[in-house]
Amino acid sequence: MPDGFHDRFLAAVGGDEAALAPWCAGPAASAGLAVYRNTTAKGAADALAAQFPTVERVVGPAWLAAAAVAHAADHPPRTASLLTYGEAFGGWLTTFPPAADMPFLADLARLDWLWTGAHLAADAPPLEATALARLTPESFARYRLVLHPATRFAGFDDGAPSLWQALQPPGDPPADLELGDAPEGLVFVRPGLDIDHRVIGAGTLAFLAGCGAGESLAAAAMDALAAEPGLDLSTVFAGLVAAGAFTELRTLS
Amino acid sequence: MTQPLTAGVSLKPQHYADALACRAEGLWFEAHPENYMAAGGPRLAWLDAIARDKPISLHGVGLSLAADEAPDEDHLAALKRLVDRYQPALVSEHLAWSMRRGVYAPDLLPFPRTQAALARIADNVDRMQEVLGRRVLIENPSLYLPLEGHDLGEVAFLAALSRRTGCGLLVDVNNVFVSAHNLGFSAEAYLDALPAEAVGEIHLAGHAPDANADLLIDTHGAPVAEAVWRLYGRLIARIGQRPTLIERDDDIPAFQDLMAERERAHALLTRETVDA
Ligand SMILES: [Fe+2]
Repeated sequence: MPDGFHDRFLAAVGGDEAALAPWCAGPAASAGLAVYRNTTAKGAADALAAQFPTVERVVGPAWLAAAAVAHAADHPPRTASLLTYGEAFGGWLTTFPPAADMPFLADLARLDWLWTGAHLAADAPPLEATALARLTPESFARYRLVLHPATRFAGFDDGAPSLWQALQPPGDPPADLELGDAPEGLVFVRPGLDIDHRVIGAGTLAFLAGCGAGESLAAAAMDALAAEPGLDLSTVFAGLVAAGAFTELRTLS
Repeated sequence: MTQPLTAGVSLKPQHYADALACRAEGLWFEAHPENYMAAGGPRLAWLDAIARDKPISLHGVGLSLAADEAPDEDHLAALKRLVDRYQPALVSEHLAWSMRRGVYAPDLLPFPRTQAALARIADNVDRMQEVLGRRVLIENPSLYLPLEGHDLGEVAFLAALSRRTGCGLLVDVNNVFVSAHNLGFSAEAYLDALPAEAVGEIHLAGHAPDANADLLIDTHGAPVAEAVWRLYGRLIARIGQRPTLIERDDDIPAFQDLMAERERAHALLTRETVDA
């Protein structure tokens, strides 16, 4: 027997059945290999369907399964836990010809991916509003807010966040998929076990990004006002704290 | 746990509330650790709640013990964290492979059962037991491909693996039935030849005919077939009571339907206990 069974087996499942000839050949080999081929493809498709439920709601299970097989050829799973499989799927969809007439699909996938990140992130207590009592406007330069490990956010050139929200169960998906022209952001928070999400504007997005980058409160506030002049920062700030977007108020060293 | 484990069921997210509330005697739950390899969040919290008052089995599908390379240390470390957190009554993996040079094929793949493979897999099982600090059970997979080049039959291979590593065996009776049909051997002779003292757990599951060829597929998407129940009765009549799982991964029915199958196994096991 030659060596290299494992590599030859994978080649055979990939279509080069002659590679496995020293171990098996003929119709029984083809039938058996087809079972492994189907199971492997179903595994990748099931994993992506679980990971991208909003995409599946738009395109249906069969479309997504076909996309999953094509995607797996370019981006096979790298770990046996498929909980974090699919990071590349959103970007990959922009190159997948059958998705060309649904330009919003990649953004829905990116939002589903952020949801997964929030779902699997480490536990941490949310920052209590009372912890902010020591803050005065003069001290903003000396403190920074640490994002909760489950907080995820992103900005988009259009209304993909509102479309994503409209597609969430338990309601039926909208008959017409309306994509607004105005740019929007979305933030996911998970202060306990349940994930919440809200559409946010450019200023809130910039504030969260500043906090995530380790900026002082003063600098993050400047970013927010630069992105959205006239923004009512104290309301935004209180809303994010109440939603559980942060875990700690830390003194800048 | 003071109660002996009788029959258990696969733990499915849609059944968490029912599973938590169920008080059936001897009941336990089996979960795939790969679905809980998260830093935190609701999955781990759900399993925390279940594990507080029910025995748990962690049944791995991705360690790839039959690869011709060592098991992935990151995966083993993640498995160890779950074993430490949940203190499972049972830990198991498959006599199969799925990982090759950093790429994962979500399936349980076959290999020629050579002496070299036995040595390699025994090393891998040793490593698994060393990291986890406990004995594990190894399961017979469903087979679909008539391979040449085996040095050992599957029962002899599993028995030798158990002798070399001290691991126990998880006997999936449905997989034996499916493999026997697909490769043309006697399921009864297979079960009769298993070393009774090594068997630590039994799986029962459903199968379906392949759409294209005269093959049976272990879909885990249907109730346990009557022929498999008959083989199960034959096995426990010989070896005695073992924790037995109603294994379901696809086309998940209502919790009560799964529990009805579980009650059948529980009844057979508790009757067997009296004789044993
Ligand atoms: Fe099984």
